[in-house]
Amino acid sequence: PGVTMSHCLPCRYSAMKEYLSELDKETKKALETFYGFSDGKSKVRRSVDKWNSTGGDFFQQIPLLKVEDFSRTATDLHSGQKRKIEGSVFHKDSSIVNSGDSNDIIGFQLCDANNSSECALYTFSSGVNAIQEWYKLHYMNIMAQIPLETKEKLSYSADDLLLTCFFDGLSCDKRHFTRFHHPLHGNCYTFNSGENGTILSTSTGGSEYGLQVVLYIDEADYNPFLVTSTGAKIIVHDQNEYPFIEDIGTEIETAAATSIGMHFTRSRKLSKPYSDCTETGADIPVENLYNKSYSLQICLHSCFQKAMVDSCGCAQYAQPLPAGAEYCNYKKNPNWMYCYYRLHEKFVKEQLGCQQICKDACSFKEWALTTSIAQWPSTVSEDWMLRVLSWDKGQKLNKKLNKTDLANLMVFYKDLNERFISENPANTLVILLSNFGGQLGLWMSCSVVCVIEIVEVFFIDSLSIVMRRQWQKAKKWWNDRKGAGSGKPPQASPVERQGHDNPICIDEDLPTFNTALRLPLPQDSPLPRTPPPNYSTLRLETAFTEQLPDTLELSQH
Amino acid sequence: EGLIEFYDSFKDMFEFFCKNTTIHGTIRLVCSDSNRMKTAFWTLLLLSSFGMLYWQFALMFSQYWAYPVVLTMSMHSEPKMFPAITICNLDPYRFELVSEHLVQLDRMAEESITFLYGINTSARLFHLNDRNIHVKDLSNIGNLSRSSFKLSQNFSLLRTTDLRSGKKHSSVGFRLCNATGGNCFYKTYSSGMDAILEWYRFHYMNIMSQLPVIINISDHEEQIEDMVYSCQYDGEPCRPSDYVHFHHPVFGSCYTFNSKGTDPFWTATKPGIPYGLSLILRAEQKDHIPLLSTVAGVKVMIHNHNQTPFLEHEGFDIRPGIATTIGIQQDEVNRLGGNYGKCTTNGDDVNVKLLYNNSYTLQACLHSCFQHIMVQKCGCGYYYYPLPPGAQYCDYNKQPAWGHCFYQLYSRLRNHHLNCFDQCPKPCRESLYKVSAGTAKWPSAKSQDWVRQALRHQNGYNSTSNRKDIAKVTIFYQQLNYQSVNESPLLTENLLLSSMGSQWSLWFGSSVLSVVEMFELLIDTLVLSLLFCYQRLRSKKTLR
Repeated sequence: PGVTMSHCLPCRYSAMKEYLSELDKETKKALETFYGFSDGKSKVRRSVDKWNSTGGDFFQQIPLLKVEDFSRTATDLHSGQKRKIEGSVFHKDSSIVNSGDSNDIIGFQLCDANNSSECALYTFSSGVNAIQEWYKLHYMNIMAQIPLETKEKLSYSADDLLLTCFFDGLSCDKRHFTRFHHPLHGNCYTFNSGENGTILSTSTGGSEYGLQVVLYIDEADYNPFLVTSTGAKIIVHDQNEYPFIEDIGTEIETAAATSIGMHFTRSRKLSKPYSDCTETGADIPVENLYNKSYSLQICLHSCFQKAMVDSCGCAQYAQPLPAGAEYCNYKKNPNWMYCYYRLHEKFVKEQLGCQQICKDACSFKEWALTTSIAQWPSTVSEDWMLRVLSWDKGQKLNKKLNKTDLANLMVFYKDLNERFISENPANTLVILLSNFGGQLGLWMSCSVVCVIEIVEVFFIDSLSIVMRRQWQKAKKWWNDRKGAGSGKPPQASPVERQGHDNPICIDEDLPTFNTALRLPLPQDSPLPRTPPPNYSTLRLETAFTEQLPDTLELSQH
Repeated sequence: EGLIEFYDSFKDMFEFFCKNTTIHGTIRLVCSDSNRMKTAFWTLLLLSSFGMLYWQFALMFSQYWAYPVVLTMSMHSEPKMFPAITICNLDPYRFELVSEHLVQLDRMAEESITFLYGINTSARLFHLNDRNIHVKDLSNIGNLSRSSFKLSQNFSLLRTTDLRSGKKHSSVGFRLCNATGGNCFYKTYSSGMDAILEWYRFHYMNIMSQLPVIINISDHEEQIEDMVYSCQYDGEPCRPSDYVHFHHPVFGSCYTFNSKGTDPFWTATKPGIPYGLSLILRAEQKDHIPLLSTVAGVKVMIHNHNQTPFLEHEGFDIRPGIATTIGIQQDEVNRLGGNYGKCTTNGDDVNVKLLYNNSYTLQACLHSCFQHIMVQKCGCGYYYYPLPPGAQYCDYNKQPAWGHCFYQLYSRLRNHHLNCFDQCPKPCRESLYKVSAGTAKWPSAKSQDWVRQALRHQNGYNSTSNRKDIAKVTIFYQQLNYQSVNESPLLTENLLLSSMGSQWSLWFGSSVLSVVEMFELLIDTLVLSLLFCYQRLRSKKTLR
């Protein structure tokens, strides 16, 4: 059976330390000021320092104003002038504000650049969330300035990621994977995306016929502020569906074999008039920004992006660009963050109307996943396997692989049973008609023909009679006038009165109301008719008239 | 003429029909003789309602012949048996009969790895094996002579490099040829790990083929206590007779609990974790064959009674050092079969002879089908599937070309060129277990000491290190009522007839008898035309 599966393999952060070193430094400074710890010994600091020397030139070209600004306010806070700063107006967009006594509440303030009295303070109950959110905001700003090609190059390639690949009992390699760039997660790899025309299918269920890959995950290369968990994310989706990896990804662990069994369910709803869903999304006034088939998720994201471009003048980084727009960054749109948060608040409260515009898709596919984890590699096989894999990898990598750098993933169908849920109209035209006919036949022993008969008699025939009468009247009136004009009325009127006796007119004679109701009797089969009434009065009269001469005779005699 | 009064002309006949038939509207056709427009109108009306009727009939029949089904979902809650549970320790035996060959094979693998990856990589690769190899003695099957098995050197691992798209692309594989040495192809893998695993598996099958087909393992000193430290069901300890033991060449020794499903002990009384099956398992890794499987832990499979567990398909992995709670929910699917879809009730009507002496499943049928073709084409049986009578397992000392034959056949199966998928229908009645699991660390750091102490005292557990080598599994019903999905026909003959009658009465106001009347008219027309022909012929004759 043509069962296909497609996976988005884990997305990983690129080694874009040169762009981010300044931001990282500021974040760490913030951490120091708020929480009073320094992580000078951490890997990040080391790499930042290393990159700083090489990427310094680049930074002077694109100075990160906001970050510097943030550091100023942060130090202000640290010196204990909390109240004053909260009361005062921030001209710059974003900064981390520690508004609480010690370190209980942390957040950042966003202000409207044009009208600086309008500010919104976003607070988080935990500092972890606040710093991650703040970092993400700045990260988007920086990434928006880097062209896509550079980003793709900086991210990891399929070669780096895949150590082994095995599908349906056959070896596979990076050619079976297609890359797409996710704005936040970096490069993602989709197995069996169908882009080169062929879609692989599994022959049977079971783990040996599924996809088995060993992934190389370099923990040291992770951005410490953006992601805090190690591992990879995987998503199972259809070939023409967009993988929303941040929304519905399944995470897999390192140093373990994760086997994911799938059950496939396909659902199909009836579109109008049965339910309010859309087949292709073409009837929805929101342009599909993703180059994939319609889904509710895509519509909501596109709708938000459109609203963002309309009201803020630039596009949000995590979603694709509409035509003619460009991604937001500080330099061009100093106001965008305040605008974005306001808009997002509206979106969540369903005030943007996106939830009303976007409809469900009529057909959708769903994979139910069952995940089980085993220890991998086992202690006895660890030795030889790590060596072989290290050697395979050896051309690019100098260090020996560690088992925490590896994740084994198996994705397979548990069985090839496909569950297909489809809606069918309960009453089709055929059923409606047959119900109609059944009822009509049962109660009236009547059919369409008899309905038409009724229509014919009561509407068409009676109408035609009325029309004919009117016509005759009109004709008579006309003739009268003409006759009055020409001066020969006495000749025309007797002919007209005897119109139905006129042999010329007989053909046009439409049946009268009475003849139509009582079916006309065929002329060639003479049925016995009732004889003319034989009234006694008539006989009496005749007797009387006959008798009268008698009596006269008698009287004469 | 005389006995049978007949019409004088077609016109007579037609008029009689129109006036006396039960079909509505025909009488109008005749009676509106005087008005041509009306006649035409009624003819058109009659024809169009006739057309409508048959259009509706066509729709109805096409719907009927598509044999649509509706699924009715119902919840049942009658008491039922706990499903069969199979657990395997992923630690296959090294049988005494073949242990020497396995050691040789390990050496050979070591040499290959050294050859492929340099000397230093495999320096201490097999130190574990040299030290303590747990050998399974099969001495009570004494009459087996040592066969003259020799490891073949023909299938050595090679590295092939080719320049593809300007980049050096190397792959590792081994060569397979047919009996005459021709038609060779390389079974290559982009990763050396996959290649070595497949290569090892290939040799392993050859070695294991020497073993007798039926090994009576249950007689052996192997006890369930060595693997299952504790077993509780519904708060009561399991009874020693509750399990069936078998040995799987890859997954090691396996135990199936409640395999028959007849013992009232295993009736599921209540849903919930305390009323499920709770096991403490040993997940030791020391006896592993390191090149056969690389994962550690325990495999658990939940399946129906009397069903062969295909662990490679649906096994659930359990990690050592972790307590896993597996909640199950049962779904039952009943298919109609017959015209409504291909399925089989018990596998009797399937062309393939099942090699597993358990109830029919699709997987079992596919495996049997492949094995039959394999025996027919290659002359020997694939080691992981059971043997048909009279065949023997493949061994490259006896059939030097079987690998060539097997891998080609296997890829044909995958590409659906073998008709196994057509021959094996789905079973009409299927039970599916939906599984959802949660994990926690076990034993916790605080309780670790006393748990180990207790196990040591009671079960002879003898590990002192902190290595994770025990696991806990709890399998329970999330809810006792199960969903059953039944197929039932959407359109039965009754429904079809009644809706046909309804259509008829809607368009013509008539019944089956009017159809008979139409037939009568047809027959009459025929008879009348024959009569006329006869009359004309006779009149011609008399004229002459």
